[in-house]
Amino acid sequence: MDAFVEWLRATPVSQTIVYKIWIWPLCETLHFVGLAMVIGIAGFFDLRLVGFFRQIAVDDVRELMPLAVTGFLINLVTGSIFFVGHPEQYVHNPAWWWKVAFLGLAGFNALMFQVLVGKSTVGLRPGTDTPSAAKAIGAVSLISWFAVLYFGRMLPFLGGAF
Amino acid sequence: MMAWLEATALATWTRESPSIWAYPAILTLHTVGLGIVVGASAVIDFRLLGFARRMSLPSLSPLFRFMLWAFLLNAATGFLLFMSEATTKSRQPVFYIKLTLIALALWNTNLIRLGIRRDGEIGAPLNAPRYRRLAVVSLALWTGAITAGRLMAYL
Repeated sequence: MDAFVEWLRATPVSQTIVYKIWIWPLCETLHFVGLAMVIGIAGFFDLRLVGFFRQIAVDDVRELMPLAVTGFLINLVTGSIFFVGHPEQYVHNPAWWWKVAFLGLAGFNALMFQVLVGKSTVGLRPGTDTPSAAKAIGAVSLISWFAVLYFGRMLPFLGGAF
Repeated sequence: MMAWLEATALATWTRESPSIWAYPAILTLHTVGLGIVVGASAVIDFRLLGFARRMSLPSLSPLFRFMLWAFLLNAATGFLLFMSEATTKSRQPVFYIKLTLIALALWNTNLIRLGIRRDGEIGAPLNAPRYRRLAVVSLALWTGAITAGRLMAYL
């Protein structure tokens, strides 16, 4: 792992990220914007799946999801930039691995919705409750994204890697 | 006065306690709060800009309550964070820019809230150009607040 870190740190991309001093603050800012988009929009959809805001049809809320995906992609790109710039801060940091694990859970959960459960929410009229599987997906999603946020914020504090 | 704030037991605990329930927890709650405030605002702003148009605006209005509680959380955690390093933070111009942007953003959000309540009650079709402007301003101000907040670590 340390050989990989050394190799990565030596690449021109990594060097640029570290030496151009505006890159890190810019990416951090974008990372926070992205997280607000994911928490807000995916979070809102999850709340609907769980059963809040019942007067709005699930199908109608679902139309917001490309915005959540956009937020996620912003964070995937900026997150990758952080990793490439300072891999040593993450690779040995338990908080980062927990973050990755919850990202995986959020992704797997979203896949389960797309492939299996989503169909059962299509065409549901406003006011109708969602099936239990959809509630479970919504709950797992909310928990996962807040866990991602938590471990992300705790990166400097857990594991002493910074 | 800033030195006095920074020396209080609460500020000292926030700053110096090795417990993750001190500074790290307060910072995490502050991040949660901003995610909810800006996130909930984004749902309404994007709706006003024409996304997911079938969602009725009055049905989204409970989101303002979410925003209020999350804002109060951030005001409280923000004050603790400020107190813990009051002498330094009070000398950072970007901190005052952040507070100004937040004040403007809250004002603007309230205009949206009142507009939806009024126009929803009288059944008037929501005046799209005005609401689009308010939505763009909202997104810009909250993004600005996030940016100023993040740059406090650097400027």
